[in-house]
Amino acid sequence: MENFTNSVVLPGNLPEIEPEKFTGLNRKYLTVLYARILIVFLILAGGLIAFVSLADETVPGKFIYLIAGAILLIISYSVVITTLGFPKKGYLIREKDVSFQRGLITYKVTSVPLNRIQHVEVNQGVLGKILQLSSVKIYTAGGTSSDLTIPGLSEPEARKMKAFLSGKISEHE
Amino acid sequence: MSMSSIDLTTPTRQSARGLILIFLFSFQKFVRAFWPLFLVLVFQNNIFQNQRVVYITILVFVVLLAAHTILYYLNFYFYVAGDEFILKKGYLRKQTLSVPLERIQSVNTKQNLIQQVLDVVTLEIDTAGTVGKELKIHALSKAYSNALQEKLQTEKSTKKWAEETTDEKTEKAKEETLLHLSPADLLRIGISQNHIRAGLIIIAFGMQLFNQAQDVFQEQADKYSNEFIEFMSHSNWALITFLVIFFLLVSILFSLLRTVLKYFDFKLFKRAETYRIESGLLNKRNVIIPHQKVQELNWETSPLKKIFGIYHLVFKQAVSGQNRRQQQQQLVDAPGCLKHHLERLKSDLFGEDKLNEAPRIYTNNFYFRRLWLLFGRIPVILATPFFYSEWIYWGAALVWLPAAAGYCYLIIKKRYFRVNNNQIRISKGAISHKWEQMELHKIQAVEFKQSIFQKRRSLASLDLMNASGTITIPFIDEKFAKQLYDYLLYHTEISKRSWM
Repeated sequence: MENFTNSVVLPGNLPEIEPEKFTGLNRKYLTVLYARILIVFLILAGGLIAFVSLADETVPGKFIYLIAGAILLIISYSVVITTLGFPKKGYLIREKDVSFQRGLITYKVTSVPLNRIQHVEVNQGVLGKILQLSSVKIYTAGGTSSDLTIPGLSEPEARKMKAFLSGKISEHE
Repeated sequence: MSMSSIDLTTPTRQSARGLILIFLFSFQKFVRAFWPLFLVLVFQNNIFQNQRVVYITILVFVVLLAAHTILYYLNFYFYVAGDEFILKKGYLRKQTLSVPLERIQSVNTKQNLIQQVLDVVTLEIDTAGTVGKELKIHALSKAYSNALQEKLQTEKSTKKWAEETTDEKTEKAKEETLLHLSPADLLRIGISQNHIRAGLIIIAFGMQLFNQAQDVFQEQADKYSNEFIEFMSHSNWALITFLVIFFLLVSILFSLLRTVLKYFDFKLFKRAETYRIESGLLNKRNVIIPHQKVQELNWETSPLKKIFGIYHLVFKQAVSGQNRRQQQQQLVDAPGCLKHHLERLKSDLFGEDKLNEAPRIYTNNFYFRRLWLLFGRIPVILATPFFYSEWIYWGAALVWLPAAAGYCYLIIKKRYFRVNNNQIRISKGAISHKWEQMELHKIQAVEFKQSIFQKRRSLASLDLMNASGTITIPFIDEKFAKQLYDYLLYHTEISKRSWM
């Protein structure tokens, strides 16, 4: 529309969020992501096999190849996106806020000021237990859309992060 | 409001008239849980060989329900002890709920038709935590609820006055009426509702009825619908015009009815730092809105509303729970505000409006192309394989594409925002025009989003989350988006003002 004019007076020299400064997630977390894709693949493939073997009439081969091809396409796409997108994932804890970035096709950074954190939780799934990985979930009053989850942290890393953030909460109360 | 006659500290039961209400509520709950069973019993007549069994069953059922009602009533009481509000309930499983008075955000009341007849109210206590949902009293006498509201409000405001040491406010503030909707106002509001939406609700409702009827009367329905289609295909334009007008009239009547039911005798009051809303015909509501709990002020006008010069205003409050239903209850709105009402409320909540001095920052033109792709080109392309042989498709596409373009143009023309050091106001809409304004220290989190298509053009979008929802700023200059992002974080981090 109108030409953009930057006449809004925002103070200069504010600390910037730089993508390079983010800490990457633990490499083992990639295994978790692959495992998730594998599970989806198994469900889809199992569904197809069940459908073909249980159908009353013989299913035309063309149809089977089409569906199988679609499944393979979706799975390989997910693998590529997950692999290439993994280095983009990372977190950054600064003195006064915590941020998480991710996304290959749509890059996203979310930041939560420490004085807005309600409480912090450490979670571990089944796969996480095997690989000794945890995730830290940061709750704000903004509801689900602004809650921040940082996955793929080693257990001590997650514990340390929770301790740091919890300490900050009590400071602000 | 006389508060001297009621002692809040003695444990009190609900109003005795409430016994009827508890009985009805329990009955309703029971029927809801077991209605399939009833249906089976009613339709399989052979179960009741003699009528005696029926009478005895009903009698037992009523006696049990009455016993439950009395036990529930006797074991349900509440009082103020020290600086806590305590509610005890349950006879099989006893429950004690307590909430510190200072944690109570607001006390709201509701009244349905039966409650209006019995002269009792449902009281809802809204806390900052999550216990609030359970703190509900369904059959409270009006006098008690007034006394409790009074007590909490004076408690709150005296505390607030003690904190702020301004002398002007120390006198006991009087309640001031800001807005009172007359029947004529309601007429204007009803007429200027979104009739397309009302129409769609009617159609959806009608379709559902039709479907259900169809299941039952399959054959007749087929016959009628065939006749209807035949009738429609043979009828001329005059008849179709008549139908459209008829349909529009029904929509308007429906909107009017909804407006009157919801906003009958609507009053908006202000006292100290709180608003209070009273409205409704069959279901009355009495809601208290502390200023600090308002996270966002939204207002909207439309071509029809503009004729009457009215705005529909929504106070978006902090929500504690995460389910949507609760969220909708927290939405408190005031329809039919005139310009000066709007300005008054804005200045109450945000102080002097300095945002008008800030420039409008429009969304980038690329946003238009993205929208048109989504609403215009993609639907047309997707439909092609099915209809490419029919001439009417090409005609429709020829109309659809420019119409979608026009619509997207309206969207992008209204999509801009103004920001200064401590507030932001965004403007959006297509046919209607909406504004959302918030103070920057109410921010809970910020998100920066950039797709690869945006990156190529150095554009980005921002999401500002507060405790009532999200404000989105789409497709602005990447550099400015980053600057704003950093500033918003900085502002929230150094702000000493609490978000609630």
